[in-house]
Amino acid sequence: MHRPKPNKLHDELDALLDGRPVELTVELAPLVEAADSLRAELASYELDPGVADRHLERVLEGSGTVVQLPLRQPAGGWDVRRRVVAVALAAALVLAPATIASAAALPGQAMYPFKLAIEQVRIASVQWSPAREADERTRVAGKRLDEVESLVRLRMFNQLPNALKALEQAVVAAQVAVAEAAEDGAPVATVATRLTQVRADGGRVVEEVRKAAASGSIGLAGGTRDAVQAAVEDAQQDVLPPPGRETVPTAGTPTPTTAGSPPDPPVNPTPAPTPPSTAAPPPPTTTPPPTAPPTTTPPPTAPPTTEPPTSAPPETAEGQPNGGEQAGADGRDAVDEVPPTTVTAP
Amino acid sequence: MLGFGGEREAVSKVGLTAADLVAARLREPAALTRIYTAYAPALFRFFMASVSDRHLAEDLTGTTFVSAIEGLPKFRGPVEALGGWLFQIARHDLYDHRRKQSRSRIEPLDDNLTEAAASDATVDPEELAIDRLEGSRVMGALRELSPDQREVLLLRMAGGMTAPEVAAVLGKTTGAVKALQHRGLASLARVLGLRSPDEPQERPYPSPDPGRLTSQEEEER
Repeated sequence: MHRPKPNKLHDELDALLDGRPVELTVELAPLVEAADSLRAELASYELDPGVADRHLERVLEGSGTVVQLPLRQPAGGWDVRRRVVAVALAAALVLAPATIASAAALPGQAMYPFKLAIEQVRIASVQWSPAREADERTRVAGKRLDEVESLVRLRMFNQLPNALKALEQAVVAAQVAVAEAAEDGAPVATVATRLTQVRADGGRVVEEVRKAAASGSIGLAGGTRDAVQAAVEDAQQDVLPPPGRETVPTAGTPTPTTAGSPPDPPVNPTPAPTPPSTAAPPPPTTTPPPTAPPTTTPPPTAPPTTEPPTSAPPETAEGQPNGGEQAGADGRDAVDEVPPTTVTAP
Repeated sequence: MLGFGGEREAVSKVGLTAADLVAARLREPAALTRIYTAYAPALFRFFMASVSDRHLAEDLTGTTFVSAIEGLPKFRGPVEALGGWLFQIARHDLYDHRRKQSRSRIEPLDDNLTEAAASDATVDPEELAIDRLEGSRVMGALRELSPDQREVLLLRMAGGMTAPEVAAVLGKTTGAVKALQHRGLASLARVLGLRSPDEPQERPYPSPDPGRLTSQEEEER
């Protein structure tokens, strides 16, 4: 008697149970009927809706306490990080071109206030280090000097008064910063040298402006000429003397910019001083020497360890500078035999 | 082909999608509710037929779902495999319960009668008793099967799973599942009197796995 192979029977039964079209043989019919009975019996078991609600309550309670905290936390953290990155990127996209564009801005131009703001930010960011602050302020002073030169070159004379005043203020601020850094023992010799160079160059530029304004070689309107001359006089008086008349900071010298700020610090890291015999006498000055006694406010000086001592000319009576720092035309001091003037920084 | 179609049909039948699974992994209440609604009845039937105790089956159903939801982030299979994964947890919970509980067998007839009378007073108690008696006869016949045969039939009939899905849950081959299914239904039909008494009770084929011979097969040997 022929009997189908077992595997075929299994497959046919499985197909019948799945509802697939297979011939229902006599052999498989009772099995399918038994399966239907079992299905009907199982289908009579229904889950009570109240029980289902309780189960769901348990499941959802677990979801609230177990899941949402750990899953939403990283999402929020990531969200914050993405926002920070986006803001930083946007700021970089805006500030970087603006910074580059404002670097060459001159007084009176639209980007110039932005340039000043960036400088202030940079200074504020390095104020934790006196040496770095001195370096940054010296760099700013150099920028102010470049601006004055650019204004002259571009014949933007109406901006000269403000530019000269800004130069003067920047140099004074740099001098104070260098003096304070030197007092703290910071290595600012290089910075002091740069500042001295800025002062020398500034004195030269200011003197050229003064001569040009006086001779009328540059066409200045009356008001502008007066303003330029006033600014030149202010600058030359204390901070930016003309070449050959570099001044030693005097006691009680008022700082034109900062109220209560210390007087002009004697940053003068000129290398080997020349013998006094070779020093040229000071040229006639256009402005009278300051007369404030040294006792009111001792003139600051850099510590001898980091800064070359600032000397007063031997001819100075009563220990008071004569209003014109004795220096050679090459910018070197000619006062090495004079005991250094010990000045404390504010 | 048709078997895989059956898998897709099962998924579509319960109305779950891959998005539901993703949302359930994120513990979204709506997705969890959909999964529960889709599988809780089948799990309850599986437990009910296994332990013959409504309250215990309800507790096991709830425990299985809580365990499943806690372990859902670890489930990396497709949504089609979610049912099989749930029944694997159900089997584990059932074995765990049986291991912990040493209890006497509950008489299902008494429970069913009490339960039916309490649930619907309008139904004739005599009809209820007959129905439950018939039901108990089927379940009694089911208990006569070997554990493997009973488990295969329950996963197939209660869980609505295909033979390959049952094979995946039980860790057996599809052929072995089909063979267990065939023998289990044959035994069930014989106990229920669905086969003619003069039909020889023979096994037309040898057991595919001699190491898993049922007690009945061993007796036959």
